[in-house]
Amino acid sequence: MEWWEWIFVILAALLFLTVMFYGVQARRRRGGIVAQRAGRRR
Amino acid sequence: MSVLLRAAELVKRPVVTLAGEDVAQIKDVVYASASGELAGFTLNGRGMFAGPMRKTLPWAAVHGLGPDAVMIKDESVLAARKALDGEREGAGGSVLGSRVLTDGGRDLGRVTDLILAVGEGGTDAVGYEIEPSDELAPRRQFVPLPDTLAVSGEALLVPDAATEFIRDDLAGFGAAVDEFRERLRAGAPPGSTVTGAPIDAPADVRPDVAPGPEATQPAAAERPGEPR
Repeated sequence: MEWWEWIFVILAALLFLTVMFYGVQARRRRGGIVAQRAGRRR
Repeated sequence: MSVLLRAAELVKRPVVTLAGEDVAQIKDVVYASASGELAGFTLNGRGMFAGPMRKTLPWAAVHGLGPDAVMIKDESVLAARKALDGEREGAGGSVLGSRVLTDGGRDLGRVTDLILAVGEGGTDAVGYEIEPSDELAPRRQFVPLPDTLAVSGEALLVPDAATEFIRDDLAGFGAAVDEFRERLRAGAPPGSTVTGAPIDAPADVRPDVAPGPEATQPAAAERPGEPR
């Protein structure tokens, strides 16, 4: 492969990894409303 | 005097110290499954690529709950994650999407949000916003909760009498919760007329400014120089 093809492949791989990492983190960051298993009693 | 707000509105709200440092973002709203008290928040880090933090924010450490930020004194008030874990046994977990059943076995719908009453006496879960299973019912309804909650493995249980106090909008829901709890305390049979004054003053329906347990300072948005 030509050198510029290698650069293209590397940049594409980096972009793919960045998007994957962002997607995983976005999923981990997703919040909600959680009931504790047991609470402080009044 | 208490203020009603939807718990989902707190998610993604930034956590800011009184020094103006933006330290985290609200991830989960955690409440006690038995008493309904708000226990605190789990946190996300700041930034596009940040994940969940190991620290949590107990409700007692919240200095003020504003419409645009949750204020804390400083980063030292953040606690370890296990502070919000609860016990190993018993029901718990995410309530969004859970079924709401009456103790008579009637399926009311699925939970889309939790309604919190924030006041000087504490912060409690007072109702569920549900998507009714009855297709003829409005798209969103509000179901009042008793003082003591019941959360089973898959369903959230409410007394049969709660069906009489279901409201279609948040306006007036605070009064419905008061009446519902008054009836449960009085032990009146379902269907009987409720008399007597509400337990608390009627709640304002303002899903924005709400005082924290030691809220003596205005919310971040009201103070010049604070990040939003």
